[in-house]
Amino acid sequence: MSSAILLEHVTKNFNDFIAVNALNFEVKAGDIYGFLGPNGSGKSTTLRMIMALIKPTSGSIKLFGESLGENRSEIMRKVGCIIEKPDFYGYLSAKENMKLFARAHLLNYSAAQYDALFSLVGLKGRENDKVKTFSHGMKQRLGIAQALIHDPELIILDEPNTGLDPQGIIDLRNLILTLNKERGKTILFSSHILSEVQEICSNMVVINKGKVVVQGGVSELLSQENLTVKLEVVNPVEASVVLQQSNWAGMMESQDETLFVFNMGKAEIPAMIDYLSQHHIGIERIDYRNQLEDYFLKITNA
Amino acid sequence: MNEFLAILKNELIKTIRRPRSYIGFGVIAFICLMLQGAFYQDGKELLSTVTAQFDNIFNVQGNILNGNLICYIVLQTLIVQMPMLVAFVTGDQVSGETSTGSIRFLLTTPASRTKIVVAKWLSGLVYTLFLLLVLGIFALFVSRAIFGVGDLMAMNSEGLTIIRADDINWRWGFAFLIAFLSLSVVASLSTLLSCIMDNSITPIVTVMAIIIIFTIIGMFDMKSFDVIKPFLFTTHMISWRSLFEDPLPVDNIVASCAILFLHVVIFLGAAIFYFKRKDITN
Amino acid sequence: MKKFFLLALTLFSFQAYAIDDPSALIRELNKKFSQVNDYTAHIRMTFDIPGVRMNAMNGKVFFKRPDRFRIRTKGIFFLPKQNPLQNMSAMLLDTSSYTSIISGYEVVKGKKCAIVNIIPLRNSIDLVLGKFWIDVAHPLVMKTQITTKNNGTIETENVYASNSTYTLPDQIIIRLETKKIKISKMMAADLNKKSKDTSNDNKLETGTIILSFSDYKINTKFADSEFDKAE
Repeated sequence: MSSAILLEHVTKNFNDFIAVNALNFEVKAGDIYGFLGPNGSGKSTTLRMIMALIKPTSGSIKLFGESLGENRSEIMRKVGCIIEKPDFYGYLSAKENMKLFARAHLLNYSAAQYDALFSLVGLKGRENDKVKTFSHGMKQRLGIAQALIHDPELIILDEPNTGLDPQGIIDLRNLILTLNKERGKTILFSSHILSEVQEICSNMVVINKGKVVVQGGVSELLSQENLTVKLEVVNPVEASVVLQQSNWAGMMESQDETLFVFNMGKAEIPAMIDYLSQHHIGIERIDYRNQLEDYFLKITNA
Repeated sequence: MNEFLAILKNELIKTIRRPRSYIGFGVIAFICLMLQGAFYQDGKELLSTVTAQFDNIFNVQGNILNGNLICYIVLQTLIVQMPMLVAFVTGDQVSGETSTGSIRFLLTTPASRTKIVVAKWLSGLVYTLFLLLVLGIFALFVSRAIFGVGDLMAMNSEGLTIIRADDINWRWGFAFLIAFLSLSVVASLSTLLSCIMDNSITPIVTVMAIIIIFTIIGMFDMKSFDVIKPFLFTTHMISWRSLFEDPLPVDNIVASCAILFLHVVIFLGAAIFYFKRKDITN
Repeated sequence: MKKFFLLALTLFSFQAYAIDDPSALIRELNKKFSQVNDYTAHIRMTFDIPGVRMNAMNGKVFFKRPDRFRIRTKGIFFLPKQNPLQNMSAMLLDTSSYTSIISGYEVVKGKKCAIVNIIPLRNSIDLVLGKFWIDVAHPLVMKTQITTKNNGTIETENVYASNSTYTLPDQIIIRLETKKIKISKMMAADLNKKSKDTSNDNKLETGTIILSFSDYKINTKFADSEFDKAE
């Protein structure tokens, strides 16, 4: 599979502040790639650099194997995007806004093509309304229409679910999957919500403070074989003795009064619960997370 | 369609469709009609303040209060307003889109940033041209319809210059061309500031502040200011008035036009230079 | 204005029958003038007035006795307002209001002229002193110098050619004293002009207006409506 996006040692400084620090990642053509990070992690700065809105301080950005700095115009013909919130010309109608973008891409859309585009994003019937009357969710839908208007090979969506209602989120998810599976589009999908990425992406990269934390296949990174299990018991002294004698003693990572933390596969949990019941250990609470999920929760809360 | 023409068309459509674009036309029409009304009512009295100093000596015969004089006075009156109206639209073209965020969509199209700035600048010039066209219609043609055509008694601090009616149309033509060049400087400065600043009001206010400060410097007859005056673009912005001098100071007019053109080139060049390097962080 | 021309023509009709008697000279000039009942002529006016720049302009002069007069042009022009010759005309007719003396003789443009001084007998008259250089050989006023209380001194110089028999000049050169006309910078909205030395701005300067006449049509009895027609 060829490379759709390749970032090599990309750094962006704003005066003394390092927004993105030697970032490396690659999005393969035909992939749905999750780009994850908490607010302020450098996601938007990175996406803006990929869309040539911000110039990197150092490093190289290649799209479709071509340098962005040297072939921006050609590259942009093959890229559609929503960067942060979609802002349109409020004094124009949705259709007039789309006509501007179509013209900028030297496209001559027919009325039927506009109808199809508005139907695709769920704005059929509202195309002649002024954008200033649109809700945020409707603007988001229009933003997607704008990103798709020139049938790009690569679609970059920066937190596209923001402002969408639950049905809108489902519609968007289905649209992304359809675009990827039926039309072969490569999609870079950024979010600060792990579950959103988990549901549609095949690969992902997580960044924090401008640096890559982890990257790889979603299925591997969010594997159920490597969970952080938190067990809270009623009688911690007895529980400690019992657990030290069990098969799970080596999986225990820490104990803090009533709370025991293990690193284990999901399949181990029922057996451990049975074992503790047999030894009359009262279980107050048990929950588990993937380690990445756990890490992501920590940095997001932070 | 050529890519540049496509984005120029987009910019023109945006200019046409923006409600703020029409404020300028309204202001010009209002000021012209207001002044015409005032001159229709009290014009002779107002003129007597000029003619009072030679009333005892000379009898001035002929229709002094004619359309050409009204147009001349209107143009002088609008020396501050016209740049403001131009800046009101052109100062917002880039910064307005930066503040609302629509600039992001614009900059993710294949068009280069240079083309985008030049298209915005050109659409600003087209708007400026239309402002002047409206001014010309109201100030000159409506005034002539109301007050008739006659010799122009042009007033300047050197005294009076009477320009014959049959010798005036070409002067108005060139005067409006110079006024267009002058306002192009304002449009170019606005575009530059609009590229630098990220909100729509600051460039407009800054342009006006610059023009007001330069104009005030120009108003004072002080030797120390004389050194600065040739370097202020506002000095050359009123060179349209030179068209109504006799003999025509051709060298001064050409020099002023060249300086104004140079300002346009410098401001636009700086705008392109800055905008190409600008990070869009909004 | 009208009276200015009427008077000018009156003065140009002097005849030099009694070169030592100014009253007789004036009487003869009046008699000479009575030959002209009306006339039209093409007029070209050129101006050199301090603080006023204006090109020469053409027009048409209409005159009918006793005092109907008009210059019909398309544009703006300046002529002396409180015309001293006008006052002089009234005074000349009222011989009890002034006294005239010949103060000497002078050659003007190769012609021997009597310098006739007109001195008002009443203080209420604007005129201070009027001087007329009258060709004693032919009754023509070659030059005048009129000093009034309100308007300073106005000089005229007359050039005759084809119509000297009617005492109608081909050219009148008017010279008058005036301060330079200037407009305040604020009024003129004349920004950014370099500052100038204004110390001489109140000094009196001489302005010149030259009226050149041609194509005289005398005693043609044109219609009165010509005076009211717009150009």
